[in-house]
Amino acid sequence: MARIGVFVCHCGENIGRTVDCARVAQALGELPGVAHAADYKYMCSDPGQALVKQAIVEKKLDGVVVAACSPHMHEKTFRRTVSSAGLNPFLCEMANIREHCSWIHEDCEAATVKATDLARFMIEKVKHNVPLQPIRIPITRRALVIGAGISGIQAALDIADGGRDVVLVEKEPSIGGHMSQLSETFPTLDCSQCILTPRMVEVYQHPRIKLYSYSEVDAVEGYIGSFTVRIRRKARSVDESKCNGCGECQKVCPNRKIPSEFDVGLGKRSAIYVPFPQAVPNIPVIDRENCALYKGRARGAKKQACGRCAEACGRQAIDYDQQDSFVTEKVGAIIVATGYQLYSIGKQQEAENLKGYGEYGYGRIPDVIDGLQFERLASASGPTSGKILRPSDGKEPKTIAFLQCIGSRDPAKGMEYCSKICCMYVAKHTMLYHHKVHDGKAVVFYMDIRAAGKGYDEFARRAIEESHALYLRGRVSKMYREGDVIKVFGVDTLSGEPVVIDADMVVLATAMRPQPGIEALAQKLSISYDGHGFINEAHPKLRPVETNTAGVFVAGACQSPRDIPDSVAMASATASKVLGLFSAEELEREPLVAHIDPALCVGCFHCERVCAYGAIEHKEIRDKNDNLIKIVAEVNSGVCQGCGTCQATCPSKADELEGFTDQQIYAEINAF
Amino acid sequence: MKALQELAAKLLTEKTVQIVIGYEEGPRGVRPAFITRAEDADRLVFDSRCVQNLASYLSPRRNHLVPLGKKAIVVKGCDSRAVAGLIRETQVRREDVVLIGVRCGGVVRDPAADTTLTPDTVAARCAECDIREPKLVDHLIGDLPPAPPVNRKRDELIAALDAMSAEERWAFWQAELARCVRCHACREVCPMCFCERCIADKSQPQWIESSAHRQGNLSWQFSRVLHQAGRCADCSECERVCPAKIPLSLLMRKTSLIVRELFNYRVTDDPSVPAPIGAYRLDDKQEFIL
Repeated sequence: MARIGVFVCHCGENIGRTVDCARVAQALGELPGVAHAADYKYMCSDPGQALVKQAIVEKKLDGVVVAACSPHMHEKTFRRTVSSAGLNPFLCEMANIREHCSWIHEDCEAATVKATDLARFMIEKVKHNVPLQPIRIPITRRALVIGAGISGIQAALDIADGGRDVVLVEKEPSIGGHMSQLSETFPTLDCSQCILTPRMVEVYQHPRIKLYSYSEVDAVEGYIGSFTVRIRRKARSVDESKCNGCGECQKVCPNRKIPSEFDVGLGKRSAIYVPFPQAVPNIPVIDRENCALYKGRARGAKKQACGRCAEACGRQAIDYDQQDSFVTEKVGAIIVATGYQLYSIGKQQEAENLKGYGEYGYGRIPDVIDGLQFERLASASGPTSGKILRPSDGKEPKTIAFLQCIGSRDPAKGMEYCSKICCMYVAKHTMLYHHKVHDGKAVVFYMDIRAAGKGYDEFARRAIEESHALYLRGRVSKMYREGDVIKVFGVDTLSGEPVVIDADMVVLATAMRPQPGIEALAQKLSISYDGHGFINEAHPKLRPVETNTAGVFVAGACQSPRDIPDSVAMASATASKVLGLFSAEELEREPLVAHIDPALCVGCFHCERVCAYGAIEHKEIRDKNDNLIKIVAEVNSGVCQGCGTCQATCPSKADELEGFTDQQIYAEINAF
Repeated sequence: MKALQELAAKLLTEKTVQIVIGYEEGPRGVRPAFITRAEDADRLVFDSRCVQNLASYLSPRRNHLVPLGKKAIVVKGCDSRAVAGLIRETQVRREDVVLIGVRCGGVVRDPAADTTLTPDTVAARCAECDIREPKLVDHLIGDLPPAPPVNRKRDELIAALDAMSAEERWAFWQAELARCVRCHACREVCPMCFCERCIADKSQPQWIESSAHRQGNLSWQFSRVLHQAGRCADCSECERVCPAKIPLSLLMRKTSLIVRELFNYRVTDDPSVPAPIGAYRLDDKQEFIL
């Protein structure tokens, strides 16, 4: 006969007000197999826990049911209590008589009966509980960081400074991300590159950081503590070990009219190029689509069409025949920090729900630019050396219209969310404009000014009060070019007046979207993402940097629109999570994972196909003569998250979830 | 027929296979034949009475066939869907079986009947057949006969059931399933039922009552149907072998129509196409969850 102890908690008045806890305890005490039943005001308090421990020892209990709040709240507490009294923690279960009973009922009599029932079901389950041992898995104490913008850089440096090796993968030729393109940063107006480039150099020189630039994650296998990552090193056409970054190759390149990605099309670069002077690593890459030599090869020309860069290179570093290569790295944790891209107002869109802005000319009106382009104009290292000059004719614009919420907060354009950073950077833009063009007039069309953050609202006020930006609450319905100006038709909703501005330039604060290809990466990592492609965190409040796959963390704007301080804080949070994970040689996990009975499994592998975590492996069953009998499914307990999907899918019920076995659930239902 | 016999003899003589599973004349119509010697190959027949789905003999659960060696089996188009299912679910390796496909002009419902195909005698599944010339084969035998007459009774019955109120439909199935004696012939004949231990035989806990009464009968058939959703090859063998004459293929057919509607999926003879039960797709509709 089982010897179950039942402990009914009043939770102060929370449960006791509606449920007669003493009566519940008395009724449960009379059930077969219940050796002890008690009620107490606060079971989670020290004296309450002492009652549980005392009863386990004195009454020789072999199972415990705590009828109290949600297991989310205190299951861990009571399992520790039970454990400290010498009983296996997984012989303790909670019956939720608070959220599931007292809080939602008014009739005391009925609630008391229900609370008794809920605890009774759990007593029947506990009779079938078996002691479980925590799972231990070894950890490769080395981290992979995907993306080397400010988030990835921060995470990599924090982990490396914490004494663990980091593999940092960046798909662009240089690290630095979008922050390297910015002019000044809010709310302090310090120069973006001045604060970023030392970090970039630090990453490059750090003995614990292995940087793969111009590389992408190709495949990921494994699980927390033991991932194997295949990285594609895209062909640079330049041998990194030979190049010393002298720049001679770029000077001789005949094709110098290619729009620069770094300058968002406002500047030009050559076909062999370093994205910007402070690039890390300072090693050029050949843009094969625009290089005369490769274009010649594609046409099938017998003679080499060009080759000047190779001739100019004193170190024979140019390798026109270089191919993509692959490296494999073993890591124990992964941080995703792939950042963002800006919404395009053009007609061509990546997804069906994105509409673009026909009313703003689908991006075809010259001098209608986006925020990043304005950053490049305002940047001292930009195409205009920091002078605000409009792209069409190089004249200084005397009136600039800034439009907020382009795409953002607009379900009709495909995005209902707020991009968070635009209010602040538009305020910054108006200030930079005022500093550089004293007689310039900045007109801002906004929906709301969202300036929550330390020093943020003060900063936005300064734009209005000191830089004299004209803030109009309203949206712009259309714009078109007329002669030298852009006619901007808007409305000032506070006065109710329609507004027409003759702007020399228009800056659109376009929405932040995740990087293209994020879905494919997320699928490789078995992590989930929302309808926009932003990576989902495990819990929006309490686990903001974890993903739903153990050992994979998320930092920065790939999780949701974020500014630099937020991204850096988040990156440091992931680093602390990773360092915490790496603090032990082995990882201890709750043993609530699936288990497949090899005798019953027929190897149909439905479980493998539905497993979102890639936890199912193939195992060969052989007889003593080593003849293959069958191949069955086996759960890798290091990867399994205990979701139970495989258990539900298994047609022959060969698959059981520890702690939630068929037997346990059946006993609960049967008690009902 | 001659071509079939010659091919079987050749496969056995050349030791490509050790056993050829096909059809032969029996005392009550055609029956499955297990030919292990080339000289017996002339017993093989194929005509419109060859209704049985021989793919069942590929199921690893029939392990008494395993010691006999490598198998060749005769498959109609509909049977090849079951073979594809077994390959898809890693029960059979394609290279371990020789498939002798036969071009099919439809089958009768009863292998003991005569070969005449009329709208009354033809099997219901032949009405929608788009696979009279099987593709998943190693050898293809015979000329393509003319298309069979069409039997719409099954779909008419399903339409009638759909038109009923939930209570009427419940009463209909209660009455039909009350006759079930739990012989599990439906399971034994099914090529796609290959579990080591059927959930119906699970005793701890016992989810499905094993004795033949209403509650257990309903649980059993509903479990079977759900386990077959998107997997059933629509060979209607379950209905043919049912001694209680329960119209089981109505359940199977209706389920496959639902799967078609929800997942845009038809059971196919291409083993590389994943079945909905084992597929994770981002564009799966999920309206039925709430």
